[in-house]
Amino acid sequence: MKVKSLQLFLSFLLSASPAWAEALKINGSTTVNLPATEAAEVLRNEKKMEIQLDTQGGSSGGISMLGEGLVHLGMSSKHVSDDDRKKFPKCDYKEIQVGEDAVALVVSKDVWDGGVKSLGKEQVAAIYEGRIKNWKDVGGPDKRIAFFNKEPGRGTWEVFVHWVYGDPKKAPQVSFPEVGGNEEGRNKVASTKGAITQLSSSWADGKTAFALSLKVGDKDVSPETEYIASGEYPMSRPLFLLSNGEATGTAKEFADFMLSPRGQEFVRKHGYLALADLKR
Amino acid sequence: MKRKIIDHLFRAITALCALVAASVLAVIIGAIWRKGASAMSWEFFTVQMKEAGVSGGILYHIAGTAILILTAFLACAPVAISIGLVHGVYLKREHTRRAVMLVLYILNGVPAILFGIFGMMVFVQYLGWGKSWLSGGLLLALMLLPTVTVAIVARIEGIPRGQIEAAAGLGLRQSQIVHAIYLPRSFGGLITGSLVGLARVAGETAPIMFTATIFAGATLPTGIKESPVLSLPYHIFILAQDSFDPAAGSKLWGTALTLLLLVFAFSIIALIPRLKSAVAQHHD
Amino acid sequence: MSGVGAGRRFSLTRWASTGFSALALLTLLAIVSLFLWQALPVWKLEGTGFVTREKWFYRQDQYGAAPMIYGTLAVAAVAMILAAPVGIGAAIYCACFLPPRLRLGFKVAIELLAGVPSVVYGLLGILLLRDWVYVALERFDVLSGDSLLTAGILLAVMILPTLITLADDALYHVPLSRRLAARGLGLTCTETILHVTLPHAWRGVLAALLLALGRACGEMIAVFLVVGRQDNQWPEKLWSPRPLIEAGQTLSTKLGSSETNIAYGNPVHWSAIVGVGLLLLFIVTTVTIIGSKVGLLGKRHET
Repeated sequence: MKVKSLQLFLSFLLSASPAWAEALKINGSTTVNLPATEAAEVLRNEKKMEIQLDTQGGSSGGISMLGEGLVHLGMSSKHVSDDDRKKFPKCDYKEIQVGEDAVALVVSKDVWDGGVKSLGKEQVAAIYEGRIKNWKDVGGPDKRIAFFNKEPGRGTWEVFVHWVYGDPKKAPQVSFPEVGGNEEGRNKVASTKGAITQLSSSWADGKTAFALSLKVGDKDVSPETEYIASGEYPMSRPLFLLSNGEATGTAKEFADFMLSPRGQEFVRKHGYLALADLKR
Repeated sequence: MKRKIIDHLFRAITALCALVAASVLAVIIGAIWRKGASAMSWEFFTVQMKEAGVSGGILYHIAGTAILILTAFLACAPVAISIGLVHGVYLKREHTRRAVMLVLYILNGVPAILFGIFGMMVFVQYLGWGKSWLSGGLLLALMLLPTVTVAIVARIEGIPRGQIEAAAGLGLRQSQIVHAIYLPRSFGGLITGSLVGLARVAGETAPIMFTATIFAGATLPTGIKESPVLSLPYHIFILAQDSFDPAAGSKLWGTALTLLLLVFAFSIIALIPRLKSAVAQHHD
Repeated sequence: MSGVGAGRRFSLTRWASTGFSALALLTLLAIVSLFLWQALPVWKLEGTGFVTREKWFYRQDQYGAAPMIYGTLAVAAVAMILAAPVGIGAAIYCACFLPPRLRLGFKVAIELLAGVPSVVYGLLGILLLRDWVYVALERFDVLSGDSLLTAGILLAVMILPTLITLADDALYHVPLSRRLAARGLGLTCTETILHVTLPHAWRGVLAALLLALGRACGEMIAVFLVVGRQDNQWPEKLWSPRPLIEAGQTLSTKLGSSETNIAYGNPVHWSAIVGVGLLLLFIVTTVTIIGSKVGLLGKRHET
């Protein structure tokens, strides 16, 4: 277990390092990164705080780097799972919710115009597992389904499999082309016929990328603010700042700012729901 | 008659190939210029990034790239000169000299991403530096090394044998000859090789993305540990995948154009002495 | 050159030089050893299956790198097939037909092209090339513009300048006397090239091709953005062109993907990633060594 001993050595080194106290280091989800970066800019200009942000590895990266003691705050668009807690027993993960976002299945224009406006769980599972390969089998045009799978480890992906399979572990291993960031996903869907991907709903512009509704029971629930706020739309995910134990010092200042009205404005600015918008 | 036709045909085909190659350059520059020129302004270069890339400028990205390549140069120079001297002066057997050149070629061929992974294991994790400008600089120095060394070696090989013999004849010791003749002559190779090498290395993303650079929040480094920098190529890489606003688009191309101009500037400066000597040679 | 002048055995310059040189060599050895050491666990788990098995499902601890090896070689092959004729043709024109001033201008242009960073190529690929490829191949019912072919085309453009520069150097350095002799005997320019220049310089040209191939195998950033990054794309028929227009994964793009960040906590997964790096290192180094030997051999044959 040489890797583990390197990790322990590393945490020891870092905890003894004076540089630890200087800049606030934040890493994780690209979704949370957007309002977080803007909040950091404000704090840097007004309070002269040193804040460093990065998006290595998405939400999973945020969780693991916080666990390894490499950053002060993690950003995540998914809950910290029991497995994560077991992997990093020394880290007392505290989730600080700063907003809510919905993940939509976003399709290209030809699919939307071709009649596919909503999908049910079983249909999505069938597409994901490759049993349905053509849009005509779900009421759409006769076109091959081009599924761009979000990188595993990303919060977006985990919310998706959580809805379809209930548990990320139950999700079968599939091989689709992968997309990483939101822009890459949107770009690829917009430029490919028959395309579908998991994407934060605020990215569906209604011109080249369209967000499908999800069939819940008899209803088609669309990813609109009111349905996300009420919880009817099933694929919504909380946006978290993660800290190791209660946040203190600059980390607390940052978290407090994100929860303040100005910080929450940044959350809304990027198409997400602020905490006040949630009706639950 | 038939031979003449073949001759003309061959000329035409190869001319076409050359034209294709040259026009690729024109297309690339044209595309980037067209999309990126609108972002260029004094403000763009002197203001820092705002709104995660949508507004503001790329001041600290330029600074970060400058820090990385300066570090790479300073770390690489003594090693490159050393290998040049070892190859040109101290090694006696041709066989060993060839081995040295082979090792340099191998190092030159190592893909950039492998340096990144190596750096991640050694600097980020094992030494516990986290992301640091120094890791990036050292890795880039490794990538720079073969180019610079080969240039120095070529320079040293070009020193007229007569000069060396004259110096020896005057009674100078080997170390004095090195200081008096070899070292001054290698500086030219050092500079040219470095300019050419830095042009390539300034644009590298793979070695620094795991080890030295972040997307937002760094200005100037404050130490060695946990002191990442912003950089031009990583900024482009992230915005290409993760930008959230089409408005960031022109900034993205502006950054690409800036990087391109920087790289071209190095290449052109490096070319000047070679052009001069090439023209001189032709006139002989 | 060496050994001239009575040397004091312990000059500082000599020791410093030797020391620094040794440092460089040790670093290269350290890279290889570290990779070998860190890749051990997956070797114990999979053995040669790591290289031959076709499924990579890290959550099930299945690590088969064969599709990625295929991807790397396929992308490099496409790049070489496209770049070699154009590159050698351009090099021939530059070395043999262009008047000196134009040759200089052309070489400058190629030198500039060689400096264009891979991320810029990637940008042009993701925003321009993949759309062009998609439109061109739509009738074949491709998934998208991301494919091994797209990556290969992009790579072809990237390795072109290297290829042209090195091949041009090889051709230009064929002794003038031989070329003039051939012309004096009445051969046309073309015949001179085909029967005198190329036969003399073929080693240098081959070395240029091999070094370009090495670069094509190792490139990550540009390929990453347009190859689709789809795992387990092992072709049903190895030699058919169909898999080329589908998305794929190469050894380098796997290394640059998010798995590298995720893997660090898990010793087996991490060693699999390092193993992929080792495979890439092996392939590229082999090509580089062969290319260098051919090139260095060529120098020895020159009069």
